[in-house]
Formats: sequence, C-alpha cells, structure tokens
Amino acid sequence: MPEVEYSTVVNLPPEKVWDFVKDMNNWAPFLTGYQKHEILSETDSIWTLKGDVGVLARTVQLKAHVTEWNGPERVSFTLEGLNELVDGGGTLLMGPYTQAPGEAAPIVPRKSFFRRVIDAIFRFFFRRMHGPAPERAARPLPANGAASKLQFTLKMEAGGPTGPLVNAMLGPALLPAAEDLANKIAAHLEQAHAAK
Amino acid sequence: MDFFKKKRQWDKETDVLVIGSGGAGLVAALAARDAGASVLVLEKATTVGGTTAVSGGVVWVPTNHHMAEVGIPDSREEALHYMKRLSDGRSDDKLIEVYVDQAPAMLRFIEKAASIPFTALARYPDYHPEFAGGKPGGRSLDPGLFDSNELGDWKKHLRKSPIFGMTAMSVTEATDWGVFSNPLKLPFKLLAERYSKGFVCYGAALVGRLLKSLLDQGVQPMLGVAARELIVEEGRITGLRAEQGGRELHVRAKKGVVLASGGFEWNPQLVQQFLGGVVTHPNSPPGNEGDGLKMAMSVGADLGNMNEAWWCPSVVIPGEEYDGRQLNRGDFAIRSMPHSIIVNRRGVRFVNEAQNYNDLMKPFFAFEPNAYERPNLPAFLVLDQAFLDKYALLTIMPGQKAPDWLPRADTIEELARKVGIDPAGLAATVTRFNRFADQGKDDDFARGDSLYDRFYGDPAHVPNPNLGALRKPPYYALEVHPGTIGTKGGARVTVDAQVLRVGGQPIDGLYAAGNVIAAPAGSGYPGAGATIGSAMTFGYLAGRHAARQKAT
Repeated sequence: MPEVEYSTVVNLPPEKVWDFVKDMNNWAPFLTGYQKHEILSETDSIWTLKGDVGVLARTVQLKAHVTEWNGPERVSFTLEGLNELVDGGGTLLMGPYTQAPGEAAPIVPRKSFFRRVIDAIFRFFFRRMHGPAPERAARPLPANGAASKLQFTLKMEAGGPTGPLVNAMLGPALLPAAEDLANKIAAHLEQAHAAK
Repeated sequence: MDFFKKKRQWDKETDVLVIGSGGAGLVAALAARDAGASVLVLEKATTVGGTTAVSGGVVWVPTNHHMAEVGIPDSREEALHYMKRLSDGRSDDKLIEVYVDQAPAMLRFIEKAASIPFTALARYPDYHPEFAGGKPGGRSLDPGLFDSNELGDWKKHLRKSPIFGMTAMSVTEATDWGVFSNPLKLPFKLLAERYSKGFVCYGAALVGRLLKSLLDQGVQPMLGVAARELIVEEGRITGLRAEQGGRELHVRAKKGVVLASGGFEWNPQLVQQFLGGVVTHPNSPPGNEGDGLKMAMSVGADLGNMNEAWWCPSVVIPGEEYDGRQLNRGDFAIRSMPHSIIVNRRGVRFVNEAQNYNDLMKPFFAFEPNAYERPNLPAFLVLDQAFLDKYALLTIMPGQKAPDWLPRADTIEELARKVGIDPAGLAATVTRFNRFADQGKDDDFARGDSLYDRFYGDPAHVPNPNLGALRKPPYYALEVHPGTIGTKGGARVTVDAQVLRVGGQPIDGLYAAGNVIAAPAGSGYPGAGATIGSAMTFGYLAGRHAARQKAT
C-alpha cells in the first residue's frame, strides 16, 4: 500500500493548531486538487478532489470517516473511494516541538538518500502541475517551547485487478499531497497569527 | 528596388523549418537532416509528439518488407486498387500512388534512422479486408515498447496518451493478451512495473524513438512556440513569424517550411465552416486548432477534402481531463463486444456497431429532409449486465460496481425513458437484436461478418464474437458523441509534398504533411496506421525535397 509521512513545525503551540484543525471546514480547501466537501456528520464527510492519475486528471470522490478525534494530539481517519476503487486513511499528529538551540525547523523527516532523490523529483513535477505549496523559510524557533510538530501520514491503496497499476500511479502523488496539506496549514496559521 | 527595402531581422535561421512535432514533422526533420540540411522544429505545445503520440502508433505500409516475415503477400496493384476504392473519389490518384510507392522506402529510412523495431501485425486486418486488394493483416506495423529514459532530460517532454500512456504494452501484446475481450487477464503487475520504470508504448514509443534520433543529431525541438504567419518574399516562403511566451520570433527558412501542424478539429469556427459532420467531441490533443491550415490559406493554398475527418466516436467519463480539457475517449472496441448495441433516440439501430471507427461515424450524420434533422444524433450505446460481467467499459473493470455517472435501469423501457430514447422503439430493437445474437447472424447490418469486426470481438463468444443478447438486467446507456482523431482536409500537395496554390502551381518553399493536407486516403481509412503512415510518408517526401533546394 503506498504510504507516506511528512512532518513540519508550526511556530504556534499545539492548542492553537488544534483550534484550527478541529474544524474540517478550515483546512479542507488546502487539500491538493480540492473541489468541494460536504460534512455528513461529526465523523463523516465526502470530499471531491481533482488529481492527476498518470497522464490524465480525474475527479475522485472520497468518503472520510474519523476514527479517532483526540485533540489536541491526534486525528485519525479512513478514506473510501465512492467513484473509484481506492481506500486509505491517515493520521494527523500534533505535539509540542522542542529543538536544539539555533536549530532550524526540520521540514522533511530523514529518509534514505534514494528516497530523498525520488521525492525531490516527484515534488518537482507535482509543483509544475499544481503550483508550489506556500514557501516557508526555515528559521530559528522561539526557545519557550511554543512551537508544534505537525505530522501527517497518508496511505491510499487501489483495489481490484488494476490495483497494482493504479498504485504505481498513486504512489508518487501521495507525498506531495501530504506535504502540501501540512505546509498550507502551517503557513496559514503562522500568517494568521502574525497578522494579529 | 531592393536597395530601399527594410532589412528583415531574423531571430533564427535554418535550412528547413518544420512546424509541428508529430509523426509528419519528426520524419520531415529526420529526412531533411539526413539529406544534409540544417533543421529547426517548432512545437506549440510543451510536449513533443502531437496527435501521433496519443495514437496507437501503428504505421500502415502496404508492400512493406516485414510482411514476408509473417507470410502475407502483397502487391502495388492490390494496394492501389484497395486505396482508390476507399478514397471514394475524394483523393488524387497520383497521391495514392506516391503513398503506396514511397511508404516502404520511408519505413526503411526511419527503421534505420530511429532504430524502430517494427513488426508486421499479422492478425490486424485492413479496415475493409474483404474488399479487393484488402489484406487480413501485415500492412499495419507495431513500433513496440520504448524506454523513455533513453531521452534523458527530454523524457518529461514526451507526450503520452491519456488512455494508453499508463499501460505499456505493445500492440502485439495487447492482441495476444485480449486487451478488450479478456481484460482481467492483463498482467497488471508487469504493467505497473513498466510504468514505474518509464516504459511507453504505441504512439509515445514511436515518437520517443523518432525524437531520440533527432536529439542524437543535435536537433532539439523548440517547445511552446506557436507558428503565426508565413513570410513571403518575392513569391517564395522564406520564413515564419512565431510567438513564444508573448514574444515574437522570426525564423528564416533558407530552403523551405514544412507545415506538419495537425488538423483543425479543436477550432470550432473552422469545424463549422468546413466539416461535413457535426463534430462535438474530438479525441485528439486540444492544440489541433488549424494553425497550419490558416497559414496555408493566407498564402493562397488550394484546399481539398475539407469536409472529411478520421472519424471516431467518442465517449466521456465526467470529470476526466487531458491538457486542461474534458477528455473525449475514442471508442475503438467497446461497441464491437457482445451484449451491446448503438441506437438513435428512436431506439433504432442504424449501423454495424463493429464497423471501423471512421466509416461507422458516417451514418451518425445522416440527414432526414422532411423533419430537417439528423435522426441519429444523439446516439447511445446500450448494454446489459452480462457485458459488465465480462468486459471493461472504459475504466470500469468486469465485476466492478458501475459508477453513478452511468445511467441504468432494471428494464429496457425504463432505461430508455431515463436517457431520452423512445421506450417502445428500443424494446423492439433489443428483441430483434437478441434474435440475431441467438442465431449468430445480424440480418440488418452484418455485424460480425467481417474479419475486421471479429478482430475487435470476443473470440470466446459463440456463435458470433460480436453478437450477444441483452437480457441480463440492469441495463446501461452511454451517449456516443461524434468525434474524430483528426481532420483530414487541408492544403493540396504535389507528389513531393509541396503545397499547391489555387491554380495548380506549387508555392515555392512551402511543404505540408499529415492532417494539415488533403489526405491521400480521401474519405476512407485503409487500415490501422493509415493516418500516421500517410503523415510520415509525406513528411519524408517534404523533408527530402526541401533539403535539396537551393538556399535563398
């Protein structure tokens, strides 16, 4: 199953991050290829996303079901394709971030050299198609421990006989999607609070 | 008084300037280069390959040297007789003759120049194999697979088909594996592996190899450059005004300009002006807007075959996009499978659904003068659950739940009412068709009689591989739209691919090939790859002839 993990640091305490994240309506438009979403209940919603599948773009409807809603630390959800044979899920983890003095905010978790090269190539192509995620310069964080680590894992798997092929196409798109969402949430929060 | 003329400022200079990077343009460039000319290729899109790259990549070459390898004899006379009949009087016999005579030489040339491992498709019949001079196979050639990594940095600029671009299988493999009749048996793990490794097939494989050869010779196509105006000096074409990112670019062509810019099917105004049919859903890349045609017209080119296209029915999955436009998928095989029919809004069949896609479309445009309407538009593909149990419908694999966008109903009448077909008419048609399916013989349209029909059928289905009853609910309907893989009317050319002006003389310095010319095939479609075979042959002729001209 194609699965990715991406984490970033937000220059705000976890409670502030949670205040924003706990309402899906706040960050739904930050999803890559977002078209619309519909809240069905406290735990269920339907997401319509337009994304590149291999060479063409396709509109996918996903039903999201929240399985764990533990603010301000953890949100877990499952995804079920309504018009495509894809399933998956993910987790959004938030927690206090502590860093060594003068350390810049880590943007990408440490991976193997090969994986980092592959990811960089995919990000390059993804940005060519969808435009960049908001640029956030790495910089020293306040020493008072008021920053949060925002970690996003996402997995998707295509089923049916064509599953192996669709997974080969989906895989490269997942990391940019996770990266895009986490960075947009972080950038939005930092800008909103800087403006206050 | 030359002395007083303002000296023109050229941004670039070349011997032969090629506009467009599909099969016609790339072969013209290779042929000109081979003849010693310097070459520049301009492409409006940001990817190389044009319509060829999204095609099956098959090349139709009668009397080709690979036919002997599969034991199918052929002759010039048979090919000429066959092509002339199919052209339906809409082509110039001299152009048919030069195609038949020069295509084998073109094939040998590109095989060598671009290392293309062509194989003759012994089981891929001509599109009217039973006509005199038609063949059961062998004239259509498969370009095989291509590892796009061979293109280095240019890999990302290779256009890929939205349909075939992700499933790297050669035409031979697709045939052997039963891509249409047995989709569950396809080796999806192998295809995933090939996709991840960068292998491409069909048109992208053909274009990839041609591009590689060009790059190896130091010719790098300029992408994102739109040709706008031919420059005429003293009655001769000497260059081009183009646009690149909002800036003008003037290119001098010392020996000639080759228009290889594709058809005009994505230009609604030209479609309305010229096409005989009502094309609403082209299934080619959206950049085919008639740029070359307009430029040829502006310098006085004579035109021919303007109301014709390489017709192909289109079907649509809502929300799918390619190059930022709704993707119209060509229906090459769905309609040939058992358990399906095509009907008009009266619920009546009007064509052999398994006929080749070009000729199939012609009755869609039939005109009924009393009612002053086209009775066969809109048209619908109607199928039953037995179809979905066995065959793939677009992206819906056998056994998969039908998506919401596909209308369905438990009875034929209810389905008809849902989509706007006369219920009684459709019910009567299905009853009649089911009888044909049971007896294995279509008394109305002879579906399944031709070898061509059966090639696109289900060989395991008896007694007729193209006929299966519609009896298993639910029933489904899918609108079939008038489409085309490219128009085939345009500038008339000489046997050397020089553009003719009105009055019959060639326009000095101007050549054309591919869908920008009045196709030698006229109204017909001789066999798989007749589009590309013709485009590449006239590209070959254009490139060679232009390269031999005296530089201006």
